[in-house]
Amino acid sequence: MLIKNTWDEALVYRLNFILWRVRVVIRFLITYFLWSSIYSGNQQFFGYSREMMLTYVLMVYLVSNFVFATRTQNIGSEINEGKLTNYLLKPFNYFISLGARDVSDKLLNFGCTVFEFAIIYLLFRPPFFFQENLGLIILAVVAFVGAVGVYFCISVLLGFLGFWTSEIWATRFIFIILLDFVAGNFFPIDILPKILSQILMLTPFPYMFYFPVKVYLGQLTTSATIQGFGVMAVWVFLLTKAMFLVWRKGLKVYSAEGR
Amino acid sequence: MLKYYFKIWLRFTLSAFQIAFVSRVGAFLFTFAKLMRFGFFMLIVVLIVTQTQSLAGYSLNQSLVFFLTYNVIDTLTQLLFRDVYRFREHIISGYFDYILIKPINPLFKILFGGADPLDLIVLVPYIGLLILFITQLSVTVVTFVSFMLLLINAFLISAAFHIVVLALGILTTEIDHAIMIYRDITSMARFPVDIYSEPLRGFITFIIPVGVMMTFPPKALFGLLAPQFMLVSGVIGIGFFVVSLKLWRYALTQYTSASS
Repeated sequence: MLIKNTWDEALVYRLNFILWRVRVVIRFLITYFLWSSIYSGNQQFFGYSREMMLTYVLMVYLVSNFVFATRTQNIGSEINEGKLTNYLLKPFNYFISLGARDVSDKLLNFGCTVFEFAIIYLLFRPPFFFQENLGLIILAVVAFVGAVGVYFCISVLLGFLGFWTSEIWATRFIFIILLDFVAGNFFPIDILPKILSQILMLTPFPYMFYFPVKVYLGQLTTSATIQGFGVMAVWVFLLTKAMFLVWRKGLKVYSAEGR
Repeated sequence: MLKYYFKIWLRFTLSAFQIAFVSRVGAFLFTFAKLMRFGFFMLIVVLIVTQTQSLAGYSLNQSLVFFLTYNVIDTLTQLLFRDVYRFREHIISGYFDYILIKPINPLFKILFGGADPLDLIVLVPYIGLLILFITQLSVTVVTFVSFMLLLINAFLISAAFHIVVLALGILTTEIDHAIMIYRDITSMARFPVDIYSEPLRGFITFIIPVGVMMTFPPKALFGLLAPQFMLVSGVIGIGFFVVSLKLWRYALTQYTSASS
């Protein structure tokens, strides 16, 4: 029911939704054309061939549209405006409601993404690397699920700032910028100076886009893959704990202001 | 008339600045985020140009002038036209009726009614860096004047884009994504549009004149823009602006005041 309602809600303003998808495609094409132009001579830059870089860009497009699709960005304003009360009064767990709305948004956006991806592929015929190693595909799917968890927890935590402050958009704005640059949305982070990319691998950001795609491409050594999954698991655990802790603390100060 | 509107603009701007600094923490965080994004992109330009030796034949210094020119135009545009981002709310809440009955041009109010001080803060280092990199190039008076004229032309095109978005806002109530699509497309000009292959390059140069806005001014500065392209730029700028005003006037005739 919640999933269906979220779909209905998203499709009330159809033009708005269509323009959102147009925007997503344009943003992808900008990144795609940029890297395609840089690799026009078929040289190898940053340790990537043209095929690998464009596959990276395409895979990030697929992964990010699933990971990034969320309704959790509204949590902060719902708390600030007292609308959280509506959920608290309902006879089901708030996190189940959040999860259901998120799944709905992800399915809707991912469905569109697959359709758009097919059109882009037929139009531009990009050199796409199809991974044939079943083990790597399974590992990439596991990493992909972990990416969804990391993003969900961080996004919810940012929303929970609304319990203490009305300044919720500035922190989310910073988060979105970080996603572009240190999560690997705009470029693979291993093109950065080595020390910088090593430090970034200890943060949760690369595990949202960069790590799952690198696993798919098979560009990580066995030890780097194990280490990556280890760090990701630690972050998922810590962020989940933090999310429930902040939720409990937040409820104690929640005053339903605005209702 | 000009003095009258300038005084009104000062009033609007002062009020907008006061509102922006009601929350100093928020203002600081947004400014920090904008500077951080700028720094990241600058790092990417440097990384790409140093790896590929030159970007479409341009040196690192020239590539940075392209990047900084884009940032100056984009930021100044946002600084002046920030109220456009709030127009949808005005339409769906019926507040636009209130603007229409004021003794000033409604387009003036919507375009210039809420300058963004945070963009003014970040504009200072952008302009400083642009001047710094320009002084390291061999620039003549003629190329510099051409650069400035094309910058003015870029603002004219940018204003036209914003007016088109406002007109669409009245006709469809859709603003948010339309203005962001404009910004996404213009962001292609962080790098010179020469790097893109045809037909994309022609499309973003003349059909959606991003290249005319962002890439032509630095090219003129480097002495790489043929005089006839200066003329074409002017025609595109003025033509686009006139068309946008006509569309705005048409949109006003379609406004139904349905929300109030």
